[in-house]
Amino acid sequence: MGHSPELIRKLEDMAVTLRKDCLTEFEGSRAGHVGGTMSIVDLVTVLYFHHLKINPRDPDWPGRDRIILSKAHACEALYAALAEIGFISKEKLPTFYQLGSPLQGHADRWCTPGIEFSGGSLGEGLSHSLGVALAAFMEKTVYEPPSPRYPTYRALPKYRAYCILGDGECQEGQVWEAAMAASTYRLDNLIAIVDYNKYCIDGPVNDVIRMEPFADKWRAFGWWVAEVDGHSIGQLCDILDLAVNLYGDGRPKCIISHTVKGRGVPFWEERHTHSARGPEMEGGLKQAAGLYK
Amino acid sequence: MVSKNVRKELGAPEAVLAGVQRGIIEAASRNPKILAVMSDLGHPAIEWFRQNAPNRMVELGIAEGNASTACGGLASEGYIPTWYTLAFCLGRAYNQIRQCICVDRFNVKIFLASAGYFGAGGISHNYVEDIAAMRALPNMVIVNPADIVEAEKAISVIMDYFGPVYYRLEASPPPARIFENAYEFELGKATVVRDGGDATIVSTGFMVTRSIQAADLLRKEKIDAQAINMSTIKPIDEEIIVKAAKETGAIVTVENHSVVGGLGEAVATVIAENHLAPLSRVGLDDEFSQSGVITNEGIDQLGTHYHLMPEDIAVAVKKTVAKKR
Repeated sequence: MGHSPELIRKLEDMAVTLRKDCLTEFEGSRAGHVGGTMSIVDLVTVLYFHHLKINPRDPDWPGRDRIILSKAHACEALYAALAEIGFISKEKLPTFYQLGSPLQGHADRWCTPGIEFSGGSLGEGLSHSLGVALAAFMEKTVYEPPSPRYPTYRALPKYRAYCILGDGECQEGQVWEAAMAASTYRLDNLIAIVDYNKYCIDGPVNDVIRMEPFADKWRAFGWWVAEVDGHSIGQLCDILDLAVNLYGDGRPKCIISHTVKGRGVPFWEERHTHSARGPEMEGGLKQAAGLYK
Repeated sequence: MVSKNVRKELGAPEAVLAGVQRGIIEAASRNPKILAVMSDLGHPAIEWFRQNAPNRMVELGIAEGNASTACGGLASEGYIPTWYTLAFCLGRAYNQIRQCICVDRFNVKIFLASAGYFGAGGISHNYVEDIAAMRALPNMVIVNPADIVEAEKAISVIMDYFGPVYYRLEASPPPARIFENAYEFELGKATVVRDGGDATIVSTGFMVTRSIQAADLLRKEKIDAQAINMSTIKPIDEEIIVKAAKETGAIVTVENHSVVGGLGEAVATVIAENHLAPLSRVGLDDEFSQSGVITNEGIDQLGTHYHLMPEDIAVAVKKTVAKKR
């Protein structure tokens, strides 16, 4: 545990860069899901620039970890990361939403290198991740030699599947179908991260449909659960390391990431903005122009 | 002209599921990427997988939305899931089939059983709108085999085709054997199973048997009806339909499905856009189907009730022929 202050600072700087990239996308489209995008930027930063096994030269490298963005309306954050890695050209960022752009309104596997899952219809990403995680065990298994911690050979997955879920999305019954199946198959290479930004379109998520006790629900479905501050780079690094190190316990992992909708632009934070256009977008962009010079 | 390897006489009835089973076993034996995905309703080749490839079986229980989406996930990693469940569950997983299979053209083979109006299940289980729903999906291919031979031959073809396929299995009585063993199934190509110049009956699945029986009845009344087996409903064989419209001038479609959105509408569209000819559709008349007893007598009772017997098809053909100018 514990990561160097240099690393944390580097990642915090990258998070600022990604927020700027997201704003570039919004400036091009003058519309977008600003709230849920800005709330996952820190998580996306830690995943892509610290935690995940990826090959910056090959978005399709077979050994890569899979990121499945179930809340695919927040694809702007992913596009920003993919642009910074170099999977897509940064010049494409302002073309977000435009006809023929590789940056579609919801993440699209065929249009954008590095996107694993075409989402947009909520509640389905965890089931897709279930299939992806199962596939890792289908063929030739790689075995880790015995160690003091694990005295017998243990099977290693070829990759891990990370599924980013929205909180309101967990009102979809299918999320829990997938949760049941994942624990039945003891898929400890599956890590779900819920972006718990507390708001959905019609209001506070727990007023719309009560999610709490949320962590207990996941535990009851047979998952290992942890809660973190989703804007603390250090906490995110630590908890992801822990989730991976627990591999072999036969439990899928759920990280509940407490976040603020619209994080980084107070104009959107105060309004709990979901998707913005018109004055809602312009107000946020205007303020952001002052904040992110 | 009658297509190659069509029997002159209808053979004994045989359940198509045995052909499907043989087809999947043959394909899964040569291709280790083929998986069996189940939703608590078993799988046509369950015993083979159990004995030969238990790690290629995925049971996902009574949760069709999850199962269909997980099939997409497995396919994204290069596998070919064969998902088996009941046709009425299609509605339950429709958004998932669209978003998580068709959008990315994932190589998933969907086997839905008990489609059509037969069965003891009643309205909930006798699913008569599956073709309409699947036809609307871009990238989806729909196959409905007419007999046991075609059922088996079609499997290896759809396994070699890359993309989503809906393989329709009906809750019908076993259809008669229509093809010789040497028959070769071609995706997107219909077959002429009876020759005739006065009218054309286009049908699919079990109803091909009844259409041939109808053509035989009509011959006694000096009406020569051609019978076409449209085993690939999507993409539909436009060429054979236009040719039939030009040569016989009257078309009757027959399907074990609602007349809304099914084979009839698909054929009607081709005719409307290419070569107009009088057309009638035989099928469930925009209604649900009640349950029937699964005996020969019960099945005929249901068929008579919904006007789907060979005699009903013959009446439709005569009416359509009368409209020819």
